[in-house]
Amino acid sequence: MRTLTAHEVTTGTALPPSSVELTPTMVISTALATMDFTPVHHDTALARAQGSKDIFLNILTTMGLVERYVTDWAGPAAVIGGINVRLGVPAYAGDRLSFEGTVVSDADGRFTVEVRGRVSLGDHATGTVTLTLPAGRAG
Amino acid sequence: MTREDRIHEELRELAAKQVALGEVRGVPAADPVNVPMIRHWLAAMGDANPVYLDQGLAPPAMAQVWTMQGLRTGARGRSPVDDMMTALDAGGYTGVVATNCEQTYHRYVRVGERLTAATRFTDLAGPKRTALGVGYFATWNITWYVEDDEPVAEMLFRVLKFRPAERPAERPAEPSPEPSRREPYPLRPATNQDTAFFWEGTKRGELRIQSCADCGELRHPPGPLCPRCRSADRTHTLATGTGTLYSYVVHHHPPVPGREAPFVVGVVELPEGVRIVGNVVDCPIEEVTIGMPLRVTYRSMDDRLVLPMWTPGEA
Amino acid sequence: MTRKETGELAQARAAVAGIGATEFSKKSGRSELRLAAEAVLAALDDAGLSPGDVDGMVTYSQDTNQEIAVARETGVGDLTFFSRVEYGGGAACATVAHAAMAVATGMARTVVCYRAFNERSGRRFGRPNAGLTGEPTSQGLEMSWHVPYGLMTPAAWVAMFARRYMHVHGATSEDFGRVAVAMRRHAATNPAAWFHGRPITLAEHQASRWIVEPLHLLDCCQESDGAVALVVTSAERARDLRRSPAVITAAAQGAGAGQMMMTSYYRDDMTGLPEMSVVGGRLWEMSGLSPRDIRTAILYDHFTPFVLAQLEELGFCGRGEAPDFVKDGGIELDGHLPVNPHGGQLGEAYIHGMNGIAEAVRQIRGTAANQLTGVANVLVTAGTGVPTSGLILSAG
Repeated sequence: MRTLTAHEVTTGTALPPSSVELTPTMVISTALATMDFTPVHHDTALARAQGSKDIFLNILTTMGLVERYVTDWAGPAAVIGGINVRLGVPAYAGDRLSFEGTVVSDADGRFTVEVRGRVSLGDHATGTVTLTLPAGRAG
Repeated sequence: MTREDRIHEELRELAAKQVALGEVRGVPAADPVNVPMIRHWLAAMGDANPVYLDQGLAPPAMAQVWTMQGLRTGARGRSPVDDMMTALDAGGYTGVVATNCEQTYHRYVRVGERLTAATRFTDLAGPKRTALGVGYFATWNITWYVEDDEPVAEMLFRVLKFRPAERPAERPAEPSPEPSRREPYPLRPATNQDTAFFWEGTKRGELRIQSCADCGELRHPPGPLCPRCRSADRTHTLATGTGTLYSYVVHHHPPVPGREAPFVVGVVELPEGVRIVGNVVDCPIEEVTIGMPLRVTYRSMDDRLVLPMWTPGEA
Repeated sequence: MTRKETGELAQARAAVAGIGATEFSKKSGRSELRLAAEAVLAALDDAGLSPGDVDGMVTYSQDTNQEIAVARETGVGDLTFFSRVEYGGGAACATVAHAAMAVATGMARTVVCYRAFNERSGRRFGRPNAGLTGEPTSQGLEMSWHVPYGLMTPAAWVAMFARRYMHVHGATSEDFGRVAVAMRRHAATNPAAWFHGRPITLAEHQASRWIVEPLHLLDCCQESDGAVALVVTSAERARDLRRSPAVITAAAQGAGAGQMMMTSYYRDDMTGLPEMSVVGGRLWEMSGLSPRDIRTAILYDHFTPFVLAQLEELGFCGRGEAPDFVKDGGIELDGHLPVNPHGGQLGEAYIHGMNGIAEAVRQIRGTAANQLTGVANVLVTAGTGVPTSGLILSAG
């Protein structure tokens, strides 16, 4: 994997769209990998009894997927400084979570990317990720 | 007072109390940052970024994972958020939906480091009408420290605790925008008969200095007797509102309730001959120096408290 | 005042006959009461006394372990004297002073002084506490002129003095840093110290993060779990016990005019510690000694700037001269006045000053990790920025 350099990125750069299929395995394995054992993330019957359509992604996973979306694009040497997310509709098992993103600010190698993660019900997560990229070769 | 008013008052009081608790530390994570949990997390997320396992670093978004309780019970200290959630449930605000999650990573943590989460309850706002029902927005901050007190990551987390509508909403809509109501400032002064006049003054934009009605001696901080003639007959004079900076500090750590670091606190020498402590504001920190001329300004901290503060003044 | 006029204490001559401590850690895993009991039993064992011999107890007002609770745990029976000393770490040497007074007046024969806490794993003094201004007590009102502005941690209160000291005397952060470097160098060769084997450089001090400017992290003492106890009895009786006594040649408490708790910003020039001058004056009067008679000093070092101020207040150097005194190696083990051979609270542990008194006793006995030669008199101080106390302990 190659890392983008600060030289190659500028305000307005669009990230390639990407999406994740939210299989029950995905929802459950990420919930457990983030140590979140709340039943609505792995117990379908209980989630439905509580008025949800199905089990759904936990927030720690949403943060992880937003991070992954940006580092998949930026490469391994990018350093993530922060992720601010506004949470919207739930991301249920069986749905698809699609990301799109745009670089909205650029200051001395420190970039802000606006990210939007949508499911069939609407926006699941919208927000910004800040990152720094290694300086590019001059010229 | 209606029952609703009472619930509201109780929630507000509890919120002020929880805010005043400041930062409350949890117990250290059960496990240090470790390769198996990182590997499992990367696989579940489908994250192929090699940097983490190659360099022994944890993905930054895992910050909270290290201090999750998991299935262990009783492994976590009580946080200031717990009592607030219990009280909201008791008030009928049983629904919960997270609205904001903002994480800042000071650096990536390394395999072997053990994290401790410290929680600060910062705000309760409401009641607000939302698409989900009437509710309160509760906000708290978590800071993760490694040994030696170094903060490595921080998170602001906000949830809406709501009274579910009669018919559950088909889909939770976007919660209403950031609430604007002012919550009580957590750092309140104690006052008594000897000091109340000062705080009454700041509310009116006056910097009141105790003065002896018998000999005219000025005194700050105030007290019951004149330091020169011991007379208990007191009045006050209004300071001109100018001063010079006698000493100052820049507070960085640890976090202070109701304040955003870094901030400046100074000892200000007044031309009237007394000193007073206050914040230096509206001035870049690197430009603050001993001897700089200052002018008083007044900042309303909540509905009841006005603090005198100091801005750069004319020499 | 001549030595003769200073009263009963010096003539009656009490002594520290036993010292005891738990390990110093960041997480003791035990209750504070258990720590207190362990230290007390260790101190009694050190003195060659049994709990049944104890009839007096003194601790800090801030200690969470009541005397009667410690007595119950350790098997101490009837108590004829118990006392508490106020003002945080300013209580340290005063616990010994109160014990010596009790012994001198016959209130008690064997007094145990102790301090025990989980200050790192339990309630930490450095954490902001909005409750400081909770009640309109005299202290709550005093705090109310500072806490609302976010000036509410010990580091911040001390930093305000430190900035003024720098301004008036031209001192620098490196001058403070040299104190930390010396303490960590001493601790590096003290196996009981938390920072045993971990010295620091001045560059590391300078690179450590800001806590409250002008104080870096490495200007601040550590936070520790642990307990220390001391046994005080008459010097005469102490001579018959297991260890050679550390005679209490002088003991004093001190508060200055216009004194506040940590925030005495409204008096004098804010560069000194007048209360330490009160203590020093009494110690010299009572003992008939002068600074040159002191082989080593245990100076309270919760924050580096106040070590400098103490050197000046106690007369080891002139006003504003402490930075040079330290720079010239004055506080090193081979300096004019070795300070805190155990590494102090910056290096050994923060047991609220009590571990420093134990070090003074070891130096007099000749059993310290960094033992100095020819130790006849040791000066010890307690918490700074608060009403405080001090001791001169002597061989004999």
